[in-house]
Amino acid sequence: MRDNVVLAGSLKFLALGDIMQLLGANSSTGVLRLISRYAAEPGFIYFENGNPVNAACGAAIGLEAVYALFGWTDGEFEFTKENILSQRVITKSRMGIILEGLKMVDDGQVKRVGPGAASRKTASPLDTDTIPIIKGPLVDYMYVADEEDFFDGEYIVEEGKHGSWIWVILEGVVEIVRETPDGPLPIVRLGDGSFIGSLSSFLIQGHIRTATAVAVGNVQLGVLDSQRLAQEFATLTPEFRGLLVSLDKRLKQLNERAVELRQKQLDPAEYMDNKKPVIKQGTADEDLYIIRDGSASVVRQEDYGRVPLAQLYNGDYFGRIPFLDLGHEPDFASVMATSDLKVRKVDIAQFQKEYNQLSTTFKNFIDNVATCVSVSTKVVCNYYKKFSMMK
Amino acid sequence: MAIFNLKKREIECKVVYYGPGRCGKTTNLEYIFSSYKKQVKGEMVSINTEGDRTLFFDFLPMGLGQIRGCDVRVQLYTVPGQVKYSSTRKLVLRGVDGIVFVADSLEVRREKNMLSLKDLQANLKDYGKSIFKVPLVMQYNKRDLAEQGIPLMPIEQMERDLNRQLKVPAFEASAVVGTGVGNTLKECLKLTLQALQREFKWAK
Repeated sequence: MRDNVVLAGSLKFLALGDIMQLLGANSSTGVLRLISRYAAEPGFIYFENGNPVNAACGAAIGLEAVYALFGWTDGEFEFTKENILSQRVITKSRMGIILEGLKMVDDGQVKRVGPGAASRKTASPLDTDTIPIIKGPLVDYMYVADEEDFFDGEYIVEEGKHGSWIWVILEGVVEIVRETPDGPLPIVRLGDGSFIGSLSSFLIQGHIRTATAVAVGNVQLGVLDSQRLAQEFATLTPEFRGLLVSLDKRLKQLNERAVELRQKQLDPAEYMDNKKPVIKQGTADEDLYIIRDGSASVVRQEDYGRVPLAQLYNGDYFGRIPFLDLGHEPDFASVMATSDLKVRKVDIAQFQKEYNQLSTTFKNFIDNVATCVSVSTKVVCNYYKKFSMMK
Repeated sequence: MAIFNLKKREIECKVVYYGPGRCGKTTNLEYIFSSYKKQVKGEMVSINTEGDRTLFFDFLPMGLGQIRGCDVRVQLYTVPGQVKYSSTRKLVLRGVDGIVFVADSLEVRREKNMLSLKDLQANLKDYGKSIFKVPLVMQYNKRDLAEQGIPLMPIEQMERDLNRQLKVPAFEASAVVGTGVGNTLKECLKLTLQALQREFKWAK
């Protein structure tokens, strides 16, 4: 079936409105498939002679589904040329759909699905069901050493235990949970293509797991050849390794924040007092910095307050990372610091080059860390809203 | 950036009506739609946006001839004025070939006109275009309201306010009754097609 893919690419580069115009001008017949790491299931739009005739997005179908897909700003698309058997459900004209869809996104009637989406949209009330599922791209089987099955409720990894295995989810959903005195606290859910296990597995043999992973429903996992990944990690420059470690630390801190919020032990003062913004949320700063001395904090501005996200120290990186989308600074968070902060600008081009040379699996792994950062931030913001209002 | 559709042997270009809210962009397009029915292809798309309406339809200008054996099809659009409609604006303004700037003749709208023109310049810049180079026609709308004793700006003043640097063709109009609407569009299409011809000559 894959052979029929005649057009594919990134939604960031070519938005749905543009794709629809292109297919329209070409009078194409076939299926447009959209995949987003932020959505549990792919979306489909069926075209006949360039006009959309039906669509599906999660539970929605027809016109409603097409409109929902306009909110997908980050993801992949592929168009396969094939005959359409689907009934003609949509009769509205192509341009009408495009203009209406974009208007609905701008009006906030359609949910934006992508990094930093939470800052533009009022988050829904939080319960376990709204913990978002993170998905990854297609799995590269070259790195899968073995397959393992887990049943519903079974523990894959336990917090506090030793272990350095890394899995990729082939099928199913896994929930990442932190243990707290009040019971387990769900952080994120991982779906197909996501990774279980962190970068620290490469650093220390038999490192201690920082969270618990539980199977939700039956799950099939691929055990990754971590030896090979560790070797690849070892060939990277110390700077690039530093960047990855810094990212991993940031992710762990976000999980910490969620736990602290639950325990009502989070003190925003230590993140903001006496500090001035180094990078202001929403500015177009294109540079990346490494901290030489002092500390800085990452804070997101929301309608309901400033949410502290992470503390950065000597050796940590902040700023724009061109190849990764954290949903943090500079677009969706500020970096604050006292005047004694010392930083050095980093050569982004070198990092970009190094990133491009990585193997697909390693790239996916890093992308997954970045997506987890972005989604965990959303979870932290949700908890912040929920628990700070309960006070 | 016009699109060549080799399948249909058509050149598709975009003309956008720009201007402050309630200046009569929509009325312009509605008038064209109803009085040039024969040349309109397909239905008119109308989207209600805050404080304004966004319109779109396809238009086949007659008597303008062909470019390199291809028919010319024009997509006419209006843009929602509100800042928040950035997705729509992006889609509409990307690859725009010609622009009609509709200015409101009401005295009270003087500042709104100038702000909107500035806004157009900034938006075009985002898509790598210069307001001085893009085919542009100015329309001073609502001239008929003078008869009802509503204070309007004299044409000379509007020229000074909006067209001093640009020096583009300008038309008086009253879109409600249709005066000047056809002339504005014709001039804009002429400039647009001339620009396209020039572009294709270079490409030869």
